[in-house]
Amino acid sequence: MTEATNQSPVSRAVKWFDPRDRSINTIGFILNRITALGLTLYLFLHLIVLHQLADGPAAYNNFISLAHSPIFTFLEVLVVTAGFIHGLNGVRIALNSFGVGIRSQKLLLVSLFAIAIIVSLVFAFHMFTV
Amino acid sequence: MNNSIYGPKSNEGGWLWFIKAITGLLVIVILFIHLIVNHFVAPNGLLTYADVVKYYQNPIIPIMEIGLVAFAVSHSLIGLRGIILDLKPTQAFINIINWLFSIVGVGAVIYGIWLIFTIASRGAGS
Repeated sequence: MTEATNQSPVSRAVKWFDPRDRSINTIGFILNRITALGLTLYLFLHLIVLHQLADGPAAYNNFISLAHSPIFTFLEVLVVTAGFIHGLNGVRIALNSFGVGIRSQKLLLVSLFAIAIIVSLVFAFHMFTV
Repeated sequence: MNNSIYGPKSNEGGWLWFIKAITGLLVIVILFIHLIVNHFVAPNGLLTYADVVKYYQNPIIPIMEIGLVAFAVSHSLIGLRGIILDLKPTQAFINIINWLFSIVGVGAVIYGIWLIFTIASRGAGS
């Protein structure tokens, strides 16, 4: 960590996203950060666009028809994926913090990624076919 | 342990860490209901203005949504602050972040509550 303290904030920031020589726990940590940033962006965009509801039926219904384009739907599936990865990983971290399941961390991580992918596929199928 | 996600961050403070953990859990619970209702319970999802207004007539929904906006905004801003703290900013910068995030957080929650009441009131009397 002595090396890290000499680096600029920018290079430290870039280092988070470097997956080389990382253990699966570190990949879990990086994914937790990336999904956190994505979900925070989504949360504030979500709050802003929902202002259309206050502008009345025409504004909101127009927005919804725009949001029904495949690109928007794909981005929404990414939000679901990020939400499940971040949420399940959060539960794992909380359990580990209290000393539960530390020995099966890797199994838990692989399982939660698998669950996130499967759930995302179910949501994607549902959202693209409605 | 400096780069660990387990337990409070070096500079985060135990209380904020605790609030982040609790709000994270609450967001999971409410978000699960929010997603299931929005995508699966309503026949085609809550896709029109009328659907949303009707959905908000059940008094449990505005209460749940106020909880969701408050917990999600708190969790995301405390988390974002934690990420920034890992970049070892100066104390002056941390002070700015503390003020900025407090204002943004309180503003976002007030706006969210206003929006929730606005939507709920549109259906009154219909």
